[in-house]
Amino acid sequence: MDFLLGVLSVMLQQFAGIFFVKIVFDHIHALNGWTFYEILFIYGIAATGRSIHHIFFDNLWTLGWQYIRPGKFDRLLIRPINPLFHFIADRLQQDGFGQLFIGIIVISTAMPHLGISWGVLEFFILVVMIIASGFIFVAINLFFATLSFWMVDSLPIVWTIFNLSDFARYPLTIYHKGIRHFLTWIVPYGFTAFYPAAYFIEGSGFEKLALLTPVVAIVSCIIAYWFWNRGLRAFTSTGS
Amino acid sequence: MRKYFEFARVQMQVHAAYSAWFWANTFSILLRMLVIYFFWKAVYSSRTEIEGLPFDGMITYIIIAMFLQMFVSGVGQELAHTIKDGNVAIELMRPYNLITRLVAMDIGDKVIHFVRGALPLSILAFIFMDITFPSTWQNGLLFLLSAFMGIWIGTFFDLLIAILAFWTINLWGLQVMKEAVISFFSGALVPLILFPEWFQTISLFLPFQAMVYVPVAIYTDILTGTEAWLALGSQIFWVVSLFVLLRVLWSIAIKKVTIFGG
Repeated sequence: MDFLLGVLSVMLQQFAGIFFVKIVFDHIHALNGWTFYEILFIYGIAATGRSIHHIFFDNLWTLGWQYIRPGKFDRLLIRPINPLFHFIADRLQQDGFGQLFIGIIVISTAMPHLGISWGVLEFFILVVMIIASGFIFVAINLFFATLSFWMVDSLPIVWTIFNLSDFARYPLTIYHKGIRHFLTWIVPYGFTAFYPAAYFIEGSGFEKLALLTPVVAIVSCIIAYWFWNRGLRAFTSTGS
Repeated sequence: MRKYFEFARVQMQVHAAYSAWFWANTFSILLRMLVIYFFWKAVYSSRTEIEGLPFDGMITYIIIAMFLQMFVSGVGQELAHTIKDGNVAIELMRPYNLITRLVAMDIGDKVIHFVRGALPLSILAFIFMDITFPSTWQNGLLFLLSAFMGIWIGTFFDLLIAILAFWTINLWGLQVMKEAVISFFSGALVPLILFPEWFQTISLFLPFQAMVYVPVAIYTDILTGTEAWLALGSQIFWVVSLFVLLRVLWSIAIKKVTIFGG
């Protein structure tokens, strides 16, 4: 019952966003040249990628207020496994499955309308893109959660940065250039949805950049993990 | 009365203390305004009006609705947690009415949010985003009255959901679901006139449109004349019936606590 409520609520939340786009597209034919199904596809990739993060890495939100502040984090440090792994494995968030379902449904609804033929290779690339998208979410959250080692709780910052991902729901071409560059090269939320989706959309003009998605994911994870280790060192050297 | 006033005042001071969250909130709202602005700019790039609304009318509706939506929830979460961790039993013995105390704190919250958050941000919006003022001052007054009722409808509804914590466990899920339903039916995302006919009919019978749509539609001249007065009437209906429902459900819930020996 409880599991169902969690899944259902997340599905409803996602559905509200899709419904909004649908309503708008009842009145227009294209958004800056992007069709309804293309927007849906972008949305689906974002939702699926985020669900990976939501299901497996949800604990990142709690680093400050549930681990560092009550002193619970020190317990992880004395155990003979990687503290990051231990910390993340502490919780599996089942509510995220709702997002995963919705994401998959949305993607498969949009897929036949994109005007490309789906072969094994395309499917493979899509799966890689989605996993990469998920790990970009993880890397960004890990990076900013790590600030908690210095400031006890960085949740407000993590939350604010996470809200930037709202931009990624729509084609980045609708935004001002500055915003676009920021979301591509500084906080790479553009690679969690728009660029991967653009790879499958003919004539989008971003096919080459889209192929960078897995690279961006790997680089972000490396940077975030490096930062995490620095934070960990700073934390332990204060004597706790 | 005096003690409840004190609760409201203390709550304002508490808020002033957590400035990290204040900046996080402000910044997030600014980001959301940017997304909204560019999205609608793109929508209007190839047309001049949608359902009779030009760009500045639309962006005014969307931004005002966004601000109003921030005020239509209440202290449900606090109440739900008090119920969940069992503190409600102790709270009930204290010399005040728990619900009234929470509402007083909520008012403190809302006042400080308005002064520090919504007010400066909406001034920014007026300066930079083509937002317009109400067409007449009567409309402006009517909007304030209607928004005031919308906020109470939202507050009561929030508390009603929270009381369900006596019977359910996944609070987070319930909270998220409530938010989704409200942004769906209240017209917080788009004016309800953009919705399909059948959807508009359904939402006419639900309390949600009375929270956001009615006040903002009055502001932007979507609802005028008799329609506006009828909508205000429906708001009065919802304020009263939700208040009564809240009272009834709360007394049932309290009985449950007493029976279990709390």
